[in-house]
Amino acid sequence: MNVLVLNGNPFNDKGNIDQYLGILVEELKSAGHNTTVIVLRDLKISPCTGCFNCWLKTPGTCTIRDDARDVTRQYIAAEHVIFASPLIMGFPSALLKNAMDRNISIMHPHLEEVDGEVHHKKRYDRYPVISYLLEKESCTDEEDIAILTDIFRREAINVRSSLGFVHFTESPVEEIVHAINVH
Amino acid sequence: MRLMFINGSPRGTKSNTDRLMEHFIRGFLETEGNACRTEYLVKYRQNLQTLTEKFSAAENVIIGFPLYIDAMPGSVKEFLEVLAPFEGKINLPALGFVIQCGFPETSHTRFAARYCEKFSRRIGCRFLGAILKGGCEGLDIQPNFLTDKYFSLFNMIGVSFGKTGKFDEELLTKLARPEHLSAQNMAQIIPYINQALWDARMEKNGVLDRSFDRPFTS
Repeated sequence: MNVLVLNGNPFNDKGNIDQYLGILVEELKSAGHNTTVIVLRDLKISPCTGCFNCWLKTPGTCTIRDDARDVTRQYIAAEHVIFASPLIMGFPSALLKNAMDRNISIMHPHLEEVDGEVHHKKRYDRYPVISYLLEKESCTDEEDIAILTDIFRREAINVRSSLGFVHFTESPVEEIVHAINVH
Repeated sequence: MRLMFINGSPRGTKSNTDRLMEHFIRGFLETEGNACRTEYLVKYRQNLQTLTEKFSAAENVIIGFPLYIDAMPGSVKEFLEVLAPFEGKINLPALGFVIQCGFPETSHTRFAARYCEKFSRRIGCRFLGAILKGGCEGLDIQPNFLTDKYFSLFNMIGVSFGKTGKFDEELLTKLARPEHLSAQNMAQIIPYINQALWDARMEKNGVLDRSFDRPFTS
């Protein structure tokens, strides 16, 4: 399977998520998955400006010229995308969120009904499954996890995908590999 | 009462968030002695520190943003992250939020609102509440009978906040309508939005026939 890991850790020297991802990627490769890692902090991805050019002027392509375009290309080529990030103030990093915001060109502006709600139409025939690998803060509690999981589930619907798993760096690496295998 | 409105829309002064809050602020200022200052987050991106200082000195803060993939825009998250050093400090402002989305139903914004409430508790700000509204993309081209209703409710919520320091629950519920849409409503509204908001603009740009382009198909 083509697996894309978006490493949204903004810190070079804090926490253990980079180390965790290093081991995970080796395990995924030995399980036979074609695995790519993008370290977002090494790229230039400016925030979405809400201009809608990617829908209304150059359909399917963002007009800001930076590294976000390559992330979108790799996202569409993947079958499973893992968004990896430490939680910062109870939410994945701004670094990761900016990359996700810049990805809306994968959708079509038209609306349609999806399970009783209004969402955007698909631009592509298929989208990757999306999953989250997060590092907790010392204050992360069950309520935070419930709030986030609900938001992630909604995000998956909105990008016409499905939510694979939400795991934390305290889970054994094998669990993540298993979760990818069974998808 | 003193209020600082932080407009977190990447569109800044040209945002739907601003058009709505203009009416809230006008209402808020009706009470004598009230003062409000608007700060546009997009102008502070290279200098977020300055904005955090203004935040910590404020009495009441409302952060407004458009919903981006079911949450705050990444640029708003950047600001929330630099507020981390204030966690648990005393004399922090009371904090409220305004979340608007383009989808016609307000229900889309409820999930981000839960995060905002938890954020306020985490940092230690008294939570004022969240003003939530769907159907806010392209306010400029929506029929007046709709936008007048939104604007008048934003105004009333502002008047009431200016007097009491609270968001009036009844007005919030009214503003949030429609919370959900029936299948029948959707069948009526969706074709209208697709035409007026999207196809008309693509046609003007000469790309309507390419609207389903797939530039990244391998």
